[in-house]
Amino acid sequence: MLKLFKLLSNKRLFILLITLVLFIVVMGFSLGTRKSLSWPENFVRDTTGFVQNVFYKPAGYIAGFFEDIGNLKDLAEENERLKIIAAQYTREKVQYNLIAAKVEQYEKLLLFTKSQSNKYNYEYHYAQVVSLTTEPSNNTLVIDLGARDGVKPNMSVISEKGLVGIVSQVSKFTSTVKLLTMMDSSDPNSQPPIAATAFGKVNETFGMVERYDQKTGRLIMTRIDEKDPIAEEDMIISSGIGGLYPQGLTIGTVESVEIGEGLTKTAIIKPAAEFEDWKNLLVVFTPEEEQ
Amino acid sequence: MNGRRSTLILVLFLLFVLQGTILPWVIPDSWEMRIVPNLVFIVILFVAVYRHRHTALLLGLSFGMLHDIVFYGRIIGAHSFAMGLSAYLIGLIFQTPRAPLPLMMTIVLLGSWLEDSILFGIYSIFKLNSEPYDWALLAYMLPTMLVHFVLGLLLYIPVRRQLEKLGNETRKEEKE
Repeated sequence: MLKLFKLLSNKRLFILLITLVLFIVVMGFSLGTRKSLSWPENFVRDTTGFVQNVFYKPAGYIAGFFEDIGNLKDLAEENERLKIIAAQYTREKVQYNLIAAKVEQYEKLLLFTKSQSNKYNYEYHYAQVVSLTTEPSNNTLVIDLGARDGVKPNMSVISEKGLVGIVSQVSKFTSTVKLLTMMDSSDPNSQPPIAATAFGKVNETFGMVERYDQKTGRLIMTRIDEKDPIAEEDMIISSGIGGLYPQGLTIGTVESVEIGEGLTKTAIIKPAAEFEDWKNLLVVFTPEEEQ
Repeated sequence: MNGRRSTLILVLFLLFVLQGTILPWVIPDSWEMRIVPNLVFIVILFVAVYRHRHTALLLGLSFGMLHDIVFYGRIIGAHSFAMGLSAYLIGLIFQTPRAPLPLMMTIVLLGSWLEDSILFGIYSIFKLNSEPYDWALLAYMLPTMLVHFVLGLLLYIPVRRQLEKLGNETRKEEKE
């Protein structure tokens, strides 16, 4: 017993124990949901973000320059493809305007409240990527929009290809984006599942994109009804039900459909926006709900 | 002497910025999820071996905390704990100011494996990863170790030279 006391009076061991306890407290505390960050965190994030901003952009330009030289051959082909898409777009734009006008008219007839008709008026804000970390268990990137620009936690972040992730922490000038690859149904603080549907089958298909399988690099969509017409090659988009994720963001394409738990089906989805070096992303601002 | 010591901290900060900004552009996209380069930690391992484990512990704790706060996805303190502890342990076992290159490279391999494993352990305790350890070992720990080995070779000469100068200056000061 005396020996044990001697051991405990050892200064080094005492410090060790205290730091261990401190670490567990900090980790446990940071694990829960937090509305805002403390000032030291804000300060560290914003100053580092400022320095990182100086480096990331030029590096991207230089890397992009070499990539462009490599892609010179495909340029003509890509141009042709884009021309076809542009022609299609101009045709559809006219149609869209007509339909949008009609919808507005109906909304007036049906006495929609202001918040109801504004529900899908999203604003897209352009954000510059500042730095990123590729660690599998903590896959995040930092963007140069922060609380000052109106960014709030849980906003969706997209690239031109599709959904990339959601904002996890916001400081004054920068915010951290948790990538879709960190989606995990067993983690209570992970991004909530995305209510999703298939493009062209919006009224028939419904399921929840629940987690990301790190081994195969695919998203798993569960709770699809047995009679659901979902099939391979379907484009999966967010349905907007539930309110957290905006409507109509591209998530990916169905790779295979399997039989899931009970009377449901499970779809394996190839993410649309796979991991790459993003230069800039768009943050989707959903309209403010009146409280 | 203070000047050189603050240069060390500044260089570490610069390396931290580089590993978040430049390295992603250098690593091919398809390998990005498998290679997690940690330049700061390599230099901290050098400090642990050639200088003192306590300096390495402090540096590991603070730069790990910096990483945690900047890339705050789910948890704060994981990197700080992993980097601090593994640097200290490596220093405790291998602290020899005259360690030759082969030994140092072994230490880099061992250290990066140790750090990744501690990190994996922390995430497992908080149930933040669902993959088994053997998969993680093959998928990203081994590739990362190899990349760290190469980076360690590149950093060996400049870092050791600087650390020796730092050591000489401290010794002179102690004599005075």
